[in-house]
Formats: sequence, C-alpha cells, structure tokens
Amino acid sequence: MRCHIVIAAVFWSVCVDSRKIRGISLSYKRFYRERKSFLCIDGSKMIPFEHVNDDYCDCEDGSDEPGTAACPGGRFYCTNLGFRPHYIQSSRVNDGICDCCDASDEYNSHTHCPNSCSNLGQRERADVQGQMRTLDEGLRLKQQLIEEGVLLWREKQAQLRDLQQVAEDLQIKLEEHRRRKREADRLKEQTLKALETANGGLRRQNSTVTSMFQILDSNKDGSLTVDEVQANVAFIQDEERVLSEEEAVALLGGGHQMDLSMFQHTLWNSLRTGDSVKIKGPHGAPGSLVEDDPNMKAAERAAQREASSLKKVEEAYETANMEISDLRMKLTIDYGTDWEFLFLNSQCYQLKVYEYTYVLCPFNQVTQKSAVGTEVSLGKWGMWAGTPENQYSQMRYESGEPCWQGPTRNTMVTLTCGTETALRSVKEPSKCQYIMDFQTPVACQPVLKQRGIHSEL
Amino acid sequence: MTRVKINELKPLKPRYEVPDVLIQEPPTEPLSLLSQDENGVVLSLGAESQRVIVSARPFRLDIMEGHEVLMSLNSRGLLAFEHLRTRKDTFSYKVTSTVASVWDNIKWVFSSSQADPDAEKKEEADPANQADEAEVEEKVEEGMWEETFKSHSDGKPNGPSAVSLDFSLPGVEHVYGIPEHADTLKLKTTDGDPYRLYNLDVFQYELYNPMALYGAVPVMLAHNSQRTTGIFWLNAAETWVDISSNTAGKTVFGKMLDYVQGSSETPQTDVRWISESGIIDVFVMLGPTPQDVFSQYASLTGTQAFPPLSALAYHQCRWNYNDQEDVQSVDAGFDQHDIPYDFIWLDIEHTDGKRYFTWDPHKFATPKEMLRGLMDKRRKMVAIVDPHIKVDTNYKIHNEIRSRGFYIKNKDGGDYEGWCWPGNAGYPDFTNPEMRTWWASMFAYDQYEGSMENLYTWNDMNEPSVFNGPEVTMHKDAVHGAVEHRDLHNLYGFYVQMATAEGLIQRSGGVERPFVLTRAFFAGSQRYGAVWTGDNAAEWDHLKVSIPMCLSLSLVGISLCGADVGGFFKTPSSELLVRWYQTGAYQPFFRAHAHLDTPRREPWLFGPENTALIREAVRQRYALLPYWYQLFYHAQRTGHPVMRPLWVEYPQDPATFAMDDQFLLGKDLLVHPVTEEGARGVTAYLPGKGEVWFDVHTFQKHNGAQNLYIPVTMSSIPVFQRGGSIIPRKVRVRRSSACMEHDPYTLYVALNPQRTAEGELYIDDGHTFNFNKKEFIHRRLSFANSILSSINLAPEAQFSTQSWIERILILGASKPSKVTLLTDGQERQLEFEFDASMSVLTLRKPGVNAGADWTVTLQ
Repeated sequence: MRCHIVIAAVFWSVCVDSRKIRGISLSYKRFYRERKSFLCIDGSKMIPFEHVNDDYCDCEDGSDEPGTAACPGGRFYCTNLGFRPHYIQSSRVNDGICDCCDASDEYNSHTHCPNSCSNLGQRERADVQGQMRTLDEGLRLKQQLIEEGVLLWREKQAQLRDLQQVAEDLQIKLEEHRRRKREADRLKEQTLKALETANGGLRRQNSTVTSMFQILDSNKDGSLTVDEVQANVAFIQDEERVLSEEEAVALLGGGHQMDLSMFQHTLWNSLRTGDSVKIKGPHGAPGSLVEDDPNMKAAERAAQREASSLKKVEEAYETANMEISDLRMKLTIDYGTDWEFLFLNSQCYQLKVYEYTYVLCPFNQVTQKSAVGTEVSLGKWGMWAGTPENQYSQMRYESGEPCWQGPTRNTMVTLTCGTETALRSVKEPSKCQYIMDFQTPVACQPVLKQRGIHSEL
Repeated sequence: MTRVKINELKPLKPRYEVPDVLIQEPPTEPLSLLSQDENGVVLSLGAESQRVIVSARPFRLDIMEGHEVLMSLNSRGLLAFEHLRTRKDTFSYKVTSTVASVWDNIKWVFSSSQADPDAEKKEEADPANQADEAEVEEKVEEGMWEETFKSHSDGKPNGPSAVSLDFSLPGVEHVYGIPEHADTLKLKTTDGDPYRLYNLDVFQYELYNPMALYGAVPVMLAHNSQRTTGIFWLNAAETWVDISSNTAGKTVFGKMLDYVQGSSETPQTDVRWISESGIIDVFVMLGPTPQDVFSQYASLTGTQAFPPLSALAYHQCRWNYNDQEDVQSVDAGFDQHDIPYDFIWLDIEHTDGKRYFTWDPHKFATPKEMLRGLMDKRRKMVAIVDPHIKVDTNYKIHNEIRSRGFYIKNKDGGDYEGWCWPGNAGYPDFTNPEMRTWWASMFAYDQYEGSMENLYTWNDMNEPSVFNGPEVTMHKDAVHGAVEHRDLHNLYGFYVQMATAEGLIQRSGGVERPFVLTRAFFAGSQRYGAVWTGDNAAEWDHLKVSIPMCLSLSLVGISLCGADVGGFFKTPSSELLVRWYQTGAYQPFFRAHAHLDTPRREPWLFGPENTALIREAVRQRYALLPYWYQLFYHAQRTGHPVMRPLWVEYPQDPATFAMDDQFLLGKDLLVHPVTEEGARGVTAYLPGKGEVWFDVHTFQKHNGAQNLYIPVTMSSIPVFQRGGSIIPRKVRVRRSSACMEHDPYTLYVALNPQRTAEGELYIDDGHTFNFNKKEFIHRRLSFANSILSSINLAPEAQFSTQSWIERILILGASKPSKVTLLTDGQERQLEFEFDASMSVLTLRKPGVNAGADWTVTLQ
C-alpha cells in the first residue's frame, strides 16, 4: 500500500508539477503538488485541489489561498527576483498598493506596478557594501579607541593616584598651617592682655566708660533714658534706622533708664565688642585706643597672615578632594567591557534641530538650547539601558528639568555604528521625552556573515 | 407639526430670527376652525383627530388628540417676553406690565405641511384688553443695562430681552436630547439648576452635570409607551431648560403604591425654556412614533450629510504629529503591526505659527510629498483649520479678512480681537454669507498651498473660544453687522463648519463629498459633517458617558458622533485604552486622540497582547463598514439615527427607556461595550419578547426580553445581531477602507423564530455625490420559506461593482440536503458546511456579483 502511494506521488509530480501555484516559495512547493485533493498544511482539512487559490478561504491556516487575499492571516510570497524574497500579508494582494518589487502581488488590480527589483537589488547591494565598509572601518576605529581607552583608563588611574598624593601632602601642610595659626592667635591675645594690664586697662576702661556714658547722657542728668539711647545708638547693620522703644529698652537692660554702674555691666559691653550696636556719629568703637599700639598691630597682622594662608591650603585641599571624588565617580561608570566608551567622557556633541541646539555630553548630561539662549536640562546620566543582548546599545539620561504639569524630562540615546562620533538626530515623540541617535565606531559590533542577496530561481 | 412663533409687534429694532438652520420655510397648512367662544378657539390640526385649543385669558395652548392632551403650552403661565426698550435717565419709568401685555403682542403661526398663506393667523392687539392693564412701575434692576462677569462687562443697549415659555407633557416621564451635556441619556429634573445651552470651550468638563459644553441643539424628545413627541426651540441665544416632574423623587415603591391605589395623578413632565434674546419660535413635533419625530425634525433642519466611506473607518490623531517624518513613521507603524487606518490627523502645531492654511516651514516643508505618500497607501489626512485668525500683517488670510471688513466687530465698531492659540486673533464673521463664500474659496487647491484631494479639515475652537473672553468665549455685545453676538452665539460654530464643508465641495467642482469635523454645533449641523464630544479625559467615567453623549446627539439628528478614543487629557491605562478602542469601534466617528502633554499611545506601544486586542477591535470595525455605510445612507435619506437608544426600536418596553450603557446600530446590532475597569462580566438587556439575538462572535442564540449575563475577558466586545436581520460584512480587512473597495461580501443571515430575515446592501463609489445622480446599488436581501433572495430596491439606479458574494452564513438554520443558486437563468449547486453545535450553515462561494439578482434555495 505504501509502495502504491509513492508511485502515485511520483507519477503526479512528473506529469503536472509544472503548474505554477501563485504565492508560494520553493520550499513550500512540496505541499502543493497537484493531486485530486489538497490537505491544509496544518492537517485540519482535506479539500478538492481546485479549491487551492480559488479566492475562497477553506483552510483555517490559510494555506489553500497562498496567492489570493481570501484568507485572513494568510501570507503571500514575493519571489522578487533580483532582490530579496519576502512574505507579505495576504491582505496586501490586489489591494492597489505595490508591495512586491516584482509586482507579483498586484496581478488583478487597477494599479500598475513597475518591476523595481533589480534597482532595489542594486541599491541594496550598494547599501550593504557601504554598511560593510562602514562596519569594517568602524571596527578598526573601535579597536583604536579600545586601545586608547585602555591607555586613558591607566592615565585616569595615574591621575587619581597623583591626586591622592597631592591630597595627602596637602593634609600634612594643612595641619602645619593650623598649628601656626593657633600660635599667632595666641600671641595676639597675649599682646592684648599685656597691653591692657600695662596701661592700667581697668582705669582707662573706666574712664572710657565714663566718657562714653557722658557722650550718651545728652542732658547730663547722670542717667540714660530711652530717648537718649534712641538718639545716640544704632545697629551696625543698619545705621540709618532709629531703634524702636523695645530695642532701646532691651539695651537698657529691660528698664527705661540706667546709671553709670549699670551701664558698665550692660550696654558698655555691647558697644565695646562692637558687633551689634555702635554709637552714632564720629565716636567709633570704645576700644579703639588699644589698636594704636604697634606691638598689637604686628600681632594682628601676623594672625591675619596665618589665617589667610591656612584658608588657601584648606581650599587647595578641598579642591583636590573634590577632584578625587569626581574622578572616582567617573571611574565607577561602566565604560564597556574594554573601556571603549571611556573616550566619550568629557566630550560633548551637538546638533541643531529647527530652532533648538541639542548637546549630548555622554556620561554627564543632555541639554537643549533655544535660539534665544535659554538652556534646559533634558536629563543627567542615568544608566545603560540597551537590550539584554547588548546593554551598551542605549543610554538613559533622566531627571532633567521638570515639565509643566508633567514629569521630569528624560532622554534615551541609541548608539549606532558609524565611522564618526556624532549626534545624528533628536526627536521628541512625546512631550519632554527625547530620543537621540548617536553614531560612533565603538557601537560597531562584529557580525556573522551578512545575509546574501537572493538568487533563487 | 405645530409651529408657535411669538414676536414683538413693533420692536425698537427687529428681533433676531435664526436664519439658515431650517432647510426651507416650512410649508403651512390651513387650520379649520372647529369652535369658538369669547375666550378662545378650537382648531383642527389636519388629518388625525388632533386639535389645538387656544385660550386667551390666561393664554394657553393645548394640543389634543381625541380626549388626550398631548402637550400644553403656557399652562403654568411662564410665558415671558422682555421687550426692547431705550434706556431712560431716571431710575424708574412707567411701562405696561410685560406679563399681561405679552398676549396682546403675540403673533402665531400654525403650520403642518401644506402651503397656504391664509393659514397664518394673526391675533391683533385687542384695545379692550389693553384698557384693563394696570400700569405698573418697572424697577430698574441691577444688570438690566450692563452686566459684569469677572473683569468683563456686557453692555445691553436695549435692556433685558429674554423670552420664555413653558410646556407640560402629561403622561411623560422620560425626556431626552438638548445636547450637549455630559449627562445621562434620560434627562434629569433640574431643580433650580437647569440644563444650559451656550457653546463654550470648557477646560476639563465635569460629568453628570447640566453645564453647557461645546455645542447646542435646542431639541427635546419626550417619550412614553404610547407616543414620542418633540420640541424644537429655534433660538440661538444663551438658553436654559428647566425640567420638573410630578414623579421625580418618588421611589419605585411610591409609584407602585400610586398604581395599586389607583392614584388619579398621571405622571407629567414640565419643561420651561428661557432664552436671553431673540424670539419665541418653537416647533412641536407630534410623532407619534420615534421615527416620525426623526422625520419631522429632518424635514425642518435636514439630515446627516452622507460621509465618504473612509470617514467611517479608523482615524489616528494626536496633538501633535511633530513633523513629516513622524507622520511617515506612524503610518509605517500601522502597516508593521497590521492595523488598518484611513486618516492621520494634524493638530495646530502643523501650521506656521498657528496661521491656519499654512504649514510649518521646517517640520512640514513638503506637505504634498507627505500627502502623496499617504495617497500611495490609499490613506488620507485631516489638518486643523480653526476660525481664530492671527492678527499679523504678513499673513494673507488676516489681511484679506481685514481689508474686506469680514471680522466681527466690538461694540465700538473696531475689529473684535481676542486671545487664542496664535496670540492676538480676529474672528471672521461667519454669519455673513459673503464671508462664508470667501472662506470656502480659500480651500481651493491653488489657494490652500500644500493641500491635495486627500486632505480634509477639522474645525476646532469654533464656539468661538476666546481665551481672554468671558467664560472663554466672545463678548455678547460684539457685533455681527446689525446683530449682537448674544443673539446668535450658538450659531457661530454651525456657520464655520458650513463654510468649510462648502469649501471642500467647491474645490472638487462639486464632485467629492466633504469631511469636516466640528467641536461646536447647532441644530442643522448634521448637514455639514461630524461632531465629537470635545476634550474628554482618560477616565473610565468618560468612556461610559461617551455612549449617552452620542445617543443624545443622535436623537437630534447628529449621527456622525464620536468621543476621543483613549481620552484627550491624562494618560489611559492599557486596559482603559483597549476598552475604549473596543467601544469606539462600534460608535459612529472612530478617532483616537491625545493631549500634547501625554506620552505617545499609538496602538502598538502597550505590548503585543494589547496590540493584538486593539488590532482585533479595529478589524471588527473595518469588516462591518458595509453596514455602517448603509446606515449612513439611510440617515442621509430619512434622518433616522445610526446609533440608537434601545427605546427607539422598542418604544413600548419601559425597561429600555433609561438605558444608556448599551445601544443599537440601526435596528439590527445591539452593542453593550465593557466600560468597567477589571470587568469579569456585563449584563446586557436583549429586548423584544419572542425575538432572538445572536452573539456575533460565537453565533450563540439568546432569547429576547431578558437580562443576559455575559462573562467577559479582555478580548470581549459583546455585540448581538437581531434574529430576522441580514448584515453584510467585508471580512478581508486590509490597510485602509479604499483597499477593500472591490472586495467580496459575506452575508450574515440571522433567522428569527419564524425563520425569516431581511436586510439590505447599499453600494456606491464611496466618495462622490454621484449617488444623488442615481449611481448606486441598493438591494433588498430577504430570507423566507428557505429562500434567500436579492432584489433590486432601486431599479432606476445604475452602478456596477466588482464586489461579489463570497460567503453566506445562516445563523439558526437547520441542515439542508441541497443548496441551489439561481442567477441569470442559470442554476447551480452550492457547497455548504453545517455546524450543528451552533446551527450555523455556511454557503461556500455563491460568487454572484453583489449587484445582481439571485436566489439561493435551501432544500
């Protein structure tokens, strides 16, 4: 029995195989050998062979109508001699739109489709060749950039070590300077005390107290009143303003008047330190006499000198530390398996699109500058966000400037292979969601042999 | 139909009477006097036993049929007519009492359907009556001569000029219509917060609320089991409608108690209309069937414009598609994901600085190239053209309008200017016919640069929207020629769409049907295109309310209605988006739209499962396009709505009267969309005792007059075909409707318990006015006595089609032994399959031309 079937099959294939079934590929031809009946490819149904391509859908899987639009979800094979063969949805057969470059899909429509396969084929071959050249060149450049990246990586490491050394040195220096400043301050204090003792500071102080009291006591009645304080005392920060009654009362120790002894223990101290209130007019601070002393002056100058050199060292130390943490931060970023993306760090690329200029500084930020010059952040470096197969195919920049009534701006950068490193396009498909196409040799991936141009039939 | 028109006898200046809304001055018919006494007359209203009783003091008008009062006017004495007056310097002055003198100044016209000038009956002022009037002192009230709203002031040169009238509807508990409100289908009693009709650009409108929205159709329908009537209040000024009912607030138990105890009180609904100015001009439509009311109203304001077939397909919109490349990639996205679409839309950003009729020179540098690209795919585009015109002396449109004096003027005579999208803008006076003619000419291909025959138009912001105006619209004291804006405010958007549609017709030399979408509308807007429900939001309640909103519009003539699929403001969850596509696929105007600030939401952006669900919903729409098209053909011919509340087809079934979570398409498809988040099932009401309904997806048969619980999954769109109907589909869904033009039909014959079914097939070229020249195919399909036949319904019409009958499904059939097809004198046997589990008989490939005569006999 089996033998019989085989013979029948051979017989049919010899005799009527020449009939062409529209819309199938060579590899599917075996399902459509002409017999009395046709078995739907999914095996669900047996139909008379005349029902194949008769413009009525019989098979659930659409296999009886490969060359017509009758079956939903069916597919039509464009042979496309001279170009690439491909399948189209059967709904595109005879719909008045040329889909196959060999025009085979519009065999029964009003639309005239030219055969454009050889043109397309040529163009594609040229494109593919171009792409291959780009890829070869890109990969060569990538290799260079990898090598540079490794060097750069080492350089950065060395830089970090240098900076750390500098910081250590600065720390030692810093301690030395702190010690010297403490010394100078102590000396100044000593000088002041010595001066006060030597000059009978207390007496002078008393007489100064007295004279100051007399200046303030305008009506010379031996008692300071609110009016007199308001008339003669002012805040250092705001000399013009007259003290309010409450403020005057506060300076008088809570009362409305005070005598000399009370003055010596309250307002005098405030005036002498001179950091909040002062006497109006030309009278100056009460302690001014002390500052005229040459020893005192020298001591103060020394103290100041030490303070300012300490500040300088402190600043240098801080800068060094900031640079270190900055560099450390940069070095923690993933620059690819071979540090091939490292060279992008500290570079910026820009592109003008309509009225805006976009600037991409990889691993740092994305900004948009308008023609009038306002700059908006479109996101700060977030992470690699590519596919699981190649996570380095996309970068995400997030938390840019917030949108009106919306989330913060962010940017997705897609990296594509090219011989130059440049920003190729910027789009804003939804408000405040930007996408960029960024071309660079380091995005080039070696591929297995490129698919060839179709040469079937 | 009865028209009651009340105007001032000798007004200071003519009061505004709404022009252009009626398609013709309705013919009048003589009324015969039945009886008369000193206080009134009884007139016969033509054929039926309908009479109108006019009583003088107090004035009232009762329309009777037999012994039954159908409707009473002024039975509550709320007729008011504030006459025009000049401002006096004194604070008070003497005038005749308005309320009493109104009667003296009325002029009414009864009209039914035949022309006869004698029918006009004028009641001249009776001097004897006037003598009785006590002169009363009219107080000058605040706001009589000037009103302020926020920082706006409204000068009223002739003082208050409102008109009002009440209507009593005995036996009526259900009233509908007066769109546009985001409210239930059945109107609510208003209790001091009346429904407002005043076209406004409302930001993020609230639901279940009588507040005014973008459009106004002052038409109300009243219905009970015996009769449907309608009131058309032809007034374009700001209008308020108060509804009260003697049964409102009564519980079901209370009503039952009334019934059991035989309460003498019949239910009654009272309605009061108030307009700020104009005249009282009201048409009472007496039905008695819903279809009669639709025809009566259509005889006044016309029918739905027959849209091009493609306009019934799917529309893809967004504010905004950014540039030509964006358009191209969205277009390609649809092909890549095998989702059909016909129109892609461009919102305001496509223009050069919001100057309509122009293109952004960078983003849309080569619009014709873009349009040709779409044309190659047999697709089309809509670009927005709003009525506010940027005041810019380098803008041709502005210069021409200004130099021709076509702008609306402010009360001081200068061009009215307000803020809108372009900044400072002028508003062309579309009420001026010369202006409309000029505007229409701007759509000519040589005027509208970059336009082509596959570019259509969208009129937005035509309430008009004025960002810095009172309630975001125009000042009422702005002037259109001799008429104040207050008199015609609600008409502005109507005229904008009218002029635009005219432009699209003219550019093709009158050959092609236009397609124009409008946001603002008035009675009669159905003649010019489509309407959508404005700026809704991505919320489940907005999805739900889209059904009553479009049903309310359908009832008053506007059939081509839709809501933004997905919701305009905010971002829909993927579940809401899918459900909205499923609902929108079964609503007349099917367009997805999104706000500028929302993330992209093209159908393929929510994962393959949701893409597949949306694809399936859109494909169902495309397959059903032949039926949609046929329904719109009928809407255009008869004025019957396409999307219908159930009560329209089941007027005696009170269970349907308030139903607005499901609807009918024509009379044969019942749709109960899933509009609940996380729904596991819906309960659909299948109407019709003794009828059957078939699930269109499974072909399962269900009995009518029952609540059917339907378990649902994310792919479910509960739709049922009425037993007794035949629906044509084109199941070869392609990239766009144009690609399906020549495709064959599959007929779905759903048998009723009597084993009969009827349907139609309408075919024309899909886009020209040639159907008016009898270039179409219209066939009756009927199944009876096991014979299905196709009979020519329009033998005088001529059209040929390449489409043929691919397949016939007979639902509820039994298995025949043989099936034969007879056509053109030839008989042949048809192959068939029978699915016993669902009783579905499938006839394979009859292959006859869709325009041919044929019969299929089951043996």
